[in-house]
Amino acid sequence: MPLGPRCPICKKPVLARSKNPSYPFCGDRCRAVDLGMWLGEEYRVPAGSADEQEDEVPLPKDGPEGDA
Amino acid sequence: MEKTVPTEALDTPAAEYTASSITVLDGLEAVRKRPGMYIGDTNVYGLHHLVYEVVDNSVDEALAGFCTEVEVVIHVDNSVTVTDNGRGIPVGPHPTVKGMDTVDVVMTKLHAGGKFENSAYKVSGGLHGVGVSCVNALSEWLEVEIQREGKVYRQRYARGVPQQQVAQIGVTEKRGTKVSFKPDTSIFEVTELNFDTLSQRLRELAFLNATLKISITDERTSKSHEFKFEGGIVSFVEYLNRAKEALNEKPIYFRAIKDQVELEIAMQWNDGYDERIFTFANNINTHEGGTHLSGFKSALTRTINTYAEKNQLWKDLKEAPTGEDAREGLAAVISVKVPNPQFEGQTKTKLGNSEIKGLVEQMVNEQLAIWLEENPNNARKIVAKIGDATRARLAARKARETVRRKGVLDSGSLPGKLADCQTRDPKESELYIVEGDSAGGSAKQGRDRRNQAVLPLRGKILNVEKARFEKMLTSAEIVTLITALGTGIGKEEYKPQEVRYHRIILMTDADVDGSHIRTLLLTFFFRQMPELIGNGFLYIAQPPLYKVTRNKKDTYLKDDEAKNEYLLNITAERAKVLTPKKEISGGEIRELLRKVITYKARLDKLSARRDPRIIDALVQSARIETDTLLNLEALNGEVEKMHAHLEARSPEVLPHLKMFRKDDPEHQAKKLVFRTEVNGSPKETVLDHAFLSSPEYRELLLLREAFEALGEAPYKVKFEEQQVEAASVQQVLDAALADAQKGLNIQRYKGLGEMNPEQLWDTTMDPARRTLLQVKVDDAVESDEIFSLLMGEAVEPRREFIEKNALEVQNLDI
Repeated sequence: MPLGPRCPICKKPVLARSKNPSYPFCGDRCRAVDLGMWLGEEYRVPAGSADEQEDEVPLPKDGPEGDA
Repeated sequence: MEKTVPTEALDTPAAEYTASSITVLDGLEAVRKRPGMYIGDTNVYGLHHLVYEVVDNSVDEALAGFCTEVEVVIHVDNSVTVTDNGRGIPVGPHPTVKGMDTVDVVMTKLHAGGKFENSAYKVSGGLHGVGVSCVNALSEWLEVEIQREGKVYRQRYARGVPQQQVAQIGVTEKRGTKVSFKPDTSIFEVTELNFDTLSQRLRELAFLNATLKISITDERTSKSHEFKFEGGIVSFVEYLNRAKEALNEKPIYFRAIKDQVELEIAMQWNDGYDERIFTFANNINTHEGGTHLSGFKSALTRTINTYAEKNQLWKDLKEAPTGEDAREGLAAVISVKVPNPQFEGQTKTKLGNSEIKGLVEQMVNEQLAIWLEENPNNARKIVAKIGDATRARLAARKARETVRRKGVLDSGSLPGKLADCQTRDPKESELYIVEGDSAGGSAKQGRDRRNQAVLPLRGKILNVEKARFEKMLTSAEIVTLITALGTGIGKEEYKPQEVRYHRIILMTDADVDGSHIRTLLLTFFFRQMPELIGNGFLYIAQPPLYKVTRNKKDTYLKDDEAKNEYLLNITAERAKVLTPKKEISGGEIRELLRKVITYKARLDKLSARRDPRIIDALVQSARIETDTLLNLEALNGEVEKMHAHLEARSPEVLPHLKMFRKDDPEHQAKKLVFRTEVNGSPKETVLDHAFLSSPEYRELLLLREAFEALGEAPYKVKFEEQQVEAASVQQVLDAALADAQKGLNIQRYKGLGEMNPEQLWDTTMDPARRTLLQVKVDDAVESDEIFSLLMGEAVEPRREFIEKNALEVQNLDI
């Protein structure tokens, strides 16, 4: 991990939150770029393996049987 | 005014500067009547302009090659002295103005001066050509002292009127002109000269005229500066970038002379975003730009685009960079020297000469292309930076467009997926952001409609590689979220104070996927809506991990700790432990077993780098302190005990066990290394000074003390119907937990979707019974770090993180 906070976009060191209205970014530009990434569906997290996926897909339709 | 210019090279000192070089154009009365017309205004700008006007005359001498030093002094009464070592104003009867000395003509006749003859000065700044006579007209007094051809002359004026004949007052070996003046307080609304304002302009002039020394001294404060830059405008660019990190190590510099026009450009990109281009024509700062600037801009964009395309450096760009992209982080100085400058614009600081555009364009096209070819490393850095700027611009635009298109601005319409609450008071309102449609459905049915809103988010799963999937929030979902929150987004539209809910609660599954989605959402809030976290509006729901049914009564337990506590309470009700020393029951049993659980948890923590069975044997059977490592005999004895313990409790360790004694020279002691196998893979457990003095080991020893109070195993554990024998405290715990689970139905929730609406309300949404974790900024910072890991720029930490998390979740599956 780098020392001190860094801008998530350009990786430059950023000022502390109290002194930086654009925190956690270095400036409004990088915040806008970040927003573009969210809206451009470029941020993804790992989502299990293929096998697990097959288990999960049928679930939403019927839901689980209640135990009550 | 329009004169043809002789075509000699610029740096050859030109024709003689004598009395005949001066022509007369006008008188001074008009200047005092309407000073604004001549010097801009009678305020701060005009006042300082007087000084520039006089200094410009000296700089013109320098441009012509006759002057190397200019000295400016601000006196205590706000009068000013400007001294140069130029040729000195010509003295003697003026050839065309009958009966007047040339000095008086220069100082009193408007538009009189060598620069209108073009031969004495090929180029000159001399703002608007009003000349020093304007300064004279607007000064209470002005004194000029000239050192020329071995003699010293002096003349004095009051409000432009000569006070005597020009007189020789002495002899000298030096030459130059000294002008002192005091701005007329009956004309100017302000009289205080600003040292910093003057310094800035003088520094600029020193940059523009390499090697010219310009000094300024303020007698009022004793402040002074001396400017002299061998590097000229290259130094200027370095000065502009002094607080930044430069991209190309040295400024790029071009110079050319063509058709009597001298062009000079220096430029350097830095890692910032500002564009700082200074343009000058004949030393005048052309704030409004003009033909030199437009020529530069178009050539810069074109040349860099051509280079990048030729080398296929921008293949991935969806759109070509614009000029603004190319100039992001650029510091540049453009200086042109033109025989007949035409100034236009509001403040007459826009260069109008149309021929200059083509000249600048041609020079930049040619020379920049050569520079790029000859400096491939720097060229690539610059091109990469411009590519980044372009991508950033496109991303920001996309964000703007998406938000507009999807109608976030139209706050009247709420998204269809949102089940809103009835109250409109944000302080009372809660928004549950729920992962998955089925859980969302349960939450919608189970909630308190009055003040609880529910927004289900499903995310989208992508098959990245054969067996690898990734999940993301779709842009539609993000827009839905923003609309539901009511804050808008982006620099102009984001208004955190308009958030519609003061409790925003993330409710995700208690598995790895759920924690990833939660991280994703936390990161979004942290980055785009940090005020909501700062205000304490963001929470994490705590759905239970277990449902326990005992005697037809349901109990929900939020995690393993809660489950153990529940089971220990049952044990306390119905078990007794008989040890050689005493019989314990009730609360005492619960206390003991809590310690056993802690002990196991600590061993588990240590297991990442050690074999927990070895550590257990060490703690339970041996007495090894740091001192023991110094004593070989004692050490051997303790190792024997450990061996015996392992034989009795963990015989499966023995076939693979290898033990080494090694030297630990740093502590002049031994250390023990045990090699074992854990699940088929080799593990090395080191017992050395560092470990034996660690807080972790000390805590284990403290727990051991509690166990020792029971006396030697075996122990008897008596339950209601049966009695079992336990060889260790761990076995007591195992027996107790097994007994307590009899007659219980323990259900582990794998996801929120397994709960029906009532269960969800009872456990997670009912304000009277739920627990919520409030998200603090620190948590969010951590989330962002985890998120960065998940984004996987560093592949190895990412894999480690995912494996570790997966492992933890497996461990929960008891």
